[in-house]
Amino acid sequence: MRDIAGTVACIDGNTFMVSDASGDVESSPSTPVGLFAADTRFLSRWRLTVNGECMTALSVDDSQYFEVTFFAVPGAAVDYVEADVSAIRRRRIGPDLTESLTIFNYGERDMTLDVRLEVAADFADIFEIKFDIGEKSGAYYTNVGENELRLGYRRGTYRREVIVSASEPAEFGPDGLGFAVRLPPGQQWSTRLQAVMLALRPDGVDLRSALRALRPDESTLPTSVQEWVAAAPTLDTDSVGLQQVYRRSLVDLAALRFAPLSLGGASVPAAGLPWFMTLFGRDSLLTCLQTLPVTPSLTPPTLRILASLQGTRTDDVLEEDPGRILHELRYGESAAFEEQPHSPYYGTVDASPLFVVLLDEYERWSGDTALVMELEQEARAALAWIDRYADLNSTGYIWYQRRNRATGLDNQCWKDSWDSISYADGRLPGFPRATCETQGYAYDAKIRGARLARTFWGDPAFAARLESEAAALYDRFNREFWLEDRGFYALALDHDGTPVDSLSSNIGHLLWSGIVPPERAPRVVEHLMGPALFSGWGVRTFAEGQRRYNPLGYHNGTVWPFDNSFIAWGLRRYGFGNEAARIAEGILSAATYFEGRLPEAFGGFDRDTTKFPIRYPTAGSPQAWSSGACMLLIRTMLGINPHEDHLAVDPALPATFGRIALLDIPGRWGERDAFARQRPDQH
Amino acid sequence: MSETSAFFERLTVAGQDPRFSKVCGSVRFDIRDDGNLEQWLLDIDHGRMRVTRSGAPATTVIQVSAQLAEAMARGEVNGLAAITRGEIMVDGDLALALRIGRLFPREPGRLQREDPDSGT
Repeated sequence: MRDIAGTVACIDGNTFMVSDASGDVESSPSTPVGLFAADTRFLSRWRLTVNGECMTALSVDDSQYFEVTFFAVPGAAVDYVEADVSAIRRRRIGPDLTESLTIFNYGERDMTLDVRLEVAADFADIFEIKFDIGEKSGAYYTNVGENELRLGYRRGTYRREVIVSASEPAEFGPDGLGFAVRLPPGQQWSTRLQAVMLALRPDGVDLRSALRALRPDESTLPTSVQEWVAAAPTLDTDSVGLQQVYRRSLVDLAALRFAPLSLGGASVPAAGLPWFMTLFGRDSLLTCLQTLPVTPSLTPPTLRILASLQGTRTDDVLEEDPGRILHELRYGESAAFEEQPHSPYYGTVDASPLFVVLLDEYERWSGDTALVMELEQEARAALAWIDRYADLNSTGYIWYQRRNRATGLDNQCWKDSWDSISYADGRLPGFPRATCETQGYAYDAKIRGARLARTFWGDPAFAARLESEAAALYDRFNREFWLEDRGFYALALDHDGTPVDSLSSNIGHLLWSGIVPPERAPRVVEHLMGPALFSGWGVRTFAEGQRRYNPLGYHNGTVWPFDNSFIAWGLRRYGFGNEAARIAEGILSAATYFEGRLPEAFGGFDRDTTKFPIRYPTAGSPQAWSSGACMLLIRTMLGINPHEDHLAVDPALPATFGRIALLDIPGRWGERDAFARQRPDQH
Repeated sequence: MSETSAFFERLTVAGQDPRFSKVCGSVRFDIRDDGNLEQWLLDIDHGRMRVTRSGAPATTVIQVSAQLAEAMARGEVNGLAAITRGEIMVDGDLALALRIGRLFPREPGRLQREDPDSGT
């Protein structure tokens, strides 16, 4: 898998196109460029030539996520471009791809132009691209029609097809289409190209057709983005950078909304481009938690779809248990033929407690008791899963050990790469493993579940039981995870109960969950803000000095904006406003180097050394929980919290921001404003 | 009696399922075996389930082959995967169809492909 520099993305939920700067797509089996829908690449080549020459981009406008305009001229990029002929490609992603191509003749002579579009479709599953698997089991077919080119792929009853057509007469062939254009001086010529993507059943019906009928018409898209931005609170600040990050994050959250097959048309956030354009339990729950003050409408459909796909039985391939909230849902060929376990895959241990945490937090903001009642059964099942199915060795913790030994995940916490959980000396612990932050989530879920049971479900006995379980977990955790000589919590417990002694960002989540006794918090904070973990931009996933530390290690040293936003929330919970503000300043400053779009992760190099954040090679962007990080950091700087029917405000601004106001914050209080201004005595 | 019929007969007897206490709707299974068509209609009203052999109209229709229906009754089918690869065709409310899919058993120890290179 490779990250391609200079690519341009055009996104509508889980349909997206990634091309080069001129608008062309020329993919290889392992590069994530092309036109994708439902985890499948429907166009692997889409290349425009004029008189045999490729186009070079002069400028690209991708200010709308679902539309990109390329201004291009034929020929290679040279110092001097003799551009009698130029072209505009306006690309738009909806259910289909449409591209309006206009060619201009600004020369003095009549032009005869051979305009060609090379087209190919490899129907690669996103996992075949990720793992560079070239061979496919099914068969390709090509139908060249008078007015269209059909490219298809069939494997048994599985069939995917793309139909390419144009509004102007064209010569169609198996490799694309061509136009013979005569263009007098000063004239222009246009055509509208279309690529329709089909996921066909044996009876010729698209299996997504019922869902598509519920979709708004594509022509309403721009309005929906404007409405989305207009419905969100207004940010008023003297910081141009913060304004840019806020606006970009809002639009990216809109871009990543998609309507899963099984949800009757409602939208939930997809996790991120290009590898995670689908529903993830953990990512969507954390994104909703981050965005409650700004875009609370994301939460009810997210909770509903995760509830509707909640585990009901035991399955060792999907790693399903009753009550377990899913990890990942895919629609590609590898999921369809169960070569990957993603239909859906349940290999996560944090989504189930986080489901309860979000339901409670959402009620605190919205006062939507109806949803709490609607999802009672599912919330109870998620709580029951913690004790009945996750406590693998009856020690009172959430443990994980994969049951799907072929394609399941080794690490089922948020740091889910194979080497993310290690001792300080680099050894990998055995299985099962119990990571620290997951225990915090379980504690928080029990406390919050108790509130829901007592206040809404009329079950004080259940509430009392949850509270006593939470208290027992608190004691046990603080006895067995705490490393007194080091002054922090172990990253995890090994299978035999030995603490995995490395220093990691995971301890920051413990503050958010409230499982840290107040007297221990200062020592934890000292580590989080110390030079081994804090890079100047943010808290590294893994501390310098650990054997496996690498500033470009995916979970072993990079800085994750989402991770930092929850750490900052935790710091505020324990009264460390200045420290939370330092994190907010670092992450939001880093965002300005990415044009306001926080990537999934960036390098853990020291800020003083590099002066700018180092791009992580394969980081996804946009990424829902990175966009959400901006929202949560604004929340932590303003110190806004729902307090019954009021919105409490308790600002702690970093010195770089003079003034931040968030206007019309929606909630059970109607709409309220929150203001923060730098006090002169703070400097 | 086929395993499919036995499965639907069991549902007829069960009658009430708390997992469907919030669900209302009707789902018809059209099971095709060459020229033969076997139809089962499930009417759900807040968890109360009525199962009949009927071709009456339903809000959601699920079309499968007899062979796949047998595999479903034996607990060998992942419904969502089968929908994605076109072996189960759903018209109507897909969310309801997926909920109904939970009625089918699932073999806990389904055979896994063992990858000899994996493991730590």
